Amino acid sequence: MIKRVEDWNYYELLNLERTASQDEIWESYQGALATYQPGSLAVYSLVTEEERALILKRIQEAFQTLRDPKTRKDYDLALLKRAPYYAPKAAFRKSIGKMEIDEAPPKKGRWSWLKRVFPRRKAAVDLRPPEDQ
Amino acid sequence: MDKRIWAVGGGKGGTGKSFVAASLGLHLASLDRDIVLVDLDLGAPNLHTLLGVKSSHPDLGDFLTGRVASLEEAASPTPWGGLRIVRGTENILFVANMNHYRKLRLLRQIRQLRARNVILDLGTGSAYNTLDFFLSANPGVVVITPEPTAIENAYLFLKSCIMRVLKLYMDHYKIPDLHRKMLDQIEKNSQSLYAFFRSLIDSDRSYGTILYRALRGFRPCLVMNRCRDERDVLLGRSVADVARRYLLIDMKYLGSVPNDDQVQASLRGLRPFVLEHRDSAAARAIRQMSEELAYSIEFTQRTPAEIRLPDT
Repeated sequence: MIKRVEDWNYYELLNLERTASQDEIWESYQGALATYQPGSLAVYSLVTEEERALILKRIQEAFQTLRDPKTRKDYDLALLKRAPYYAPKAAFRKSIGKMEIDEAPPKKGRWSWLKRVFPRRKAAVDLRPPEDQ
Repeated sequence: MDKRIWAVGGGKGGTGKSFVAASLGLHLASLDRDIVLVDLDLGAPNLHTLLGVKSSHPDLGDFLTGRVASLEEAASPTPWGGLRIVRGTENILFVANMNHYRKLRLLRQIRQLRARNVILDLGTGSAYNTLDFFLSANPGVVVITPEPTAIENAYLFLKSCIMRVLKLYMDHYKIPDLHRKMLDQIEKNSQSLYAFFRSLIDSDRSYGTILYRALRGFRPCLVMNRCRDERDVLLGRSVADVARRYLLIDMKYLGSVPNDDQVQASLRGLRPFVLEHRDSAAARAIRQMSEELAYSIEFTQRTPAEIRLPDT
């Protein structure tokens, strides 16, 4: 996935997993600071001064957010809300037989039409009151 | 036979490409592997000097001028087990300016060498010949030193490789002129690689996907040579990270080789350093890197980028 520097989330920015511990966050932060600090050789001739300053600012924001468990939790929730929603496609509809998935779109075709028009007879429900014990 | 071709390159001269190539070859030969080292530093070959090999056996120049029929005949044996070397020529001038058909023949012959591992030692600069040899290998190893000149040239080398890959795929898939113009903008540095892909995907998603996949198939490794302290080791990691982010390539940091003054002494005595100083930190680092290259699942299961050279 191609993303701009501005679009990287804090975990991507610091090369971290979502489950990273506080020690891992600190270690990644130190590494990122060394990479993007003023005068760093790693960005020499490839990254402009403006880009370097921007990414360094975002790295500091990322560390400030992730080091505090409360702000980190809020940020994680915000990330979850921003995550794209993929509707379930119910790919296994046929194979699971009786389990019908509500979100699955109605099937097209003659056989499906027949099944809709002539639904399967339901099992008779026993309406008798329970016997006295 | 499961053949593996590795190339050792990088933009700047004097970073230790030949040293790394020779050391990798020597260590893998000591593990009973059959290795052929090919000196493709066409303008300034000296891999044989690093190994201390002197012989009147045919060399690369004899193959390129047709004195020997195949590259296999130009591979001379060395005193170290299964290691053979195709020496660069010193007698025939201007071999570096080989034409396209000679280059294709050489690439074919490299693939046909009867050895499980082939290591190509490339020259400096970003000439098409050097780039094509680098791209034919999987993986290519970029060697740098902790100096701004080496890092600058390495980025230029990687950018040239990327441009070469994109152009080859554009030619192969006959991608229209609009995209070619976009590519020219990158070369003139007026557009970043990210902006190029963004506009390409917006205008034609299928072409964008083809080229992005081609780019992700280019997966070089990085070696930081002559490290003096921990900061230099970290600098290597940082360079690989910056290349991954800004050049959009899947670059792996293979490791660092500590600086060792004994390398010069070994070179003056025409003795291979990794054999003479087996227990030095530099030799241990080389051993670790070569074993990772040879046995790591990540490298053994890597599929090479499909590069088709244009016939014109």
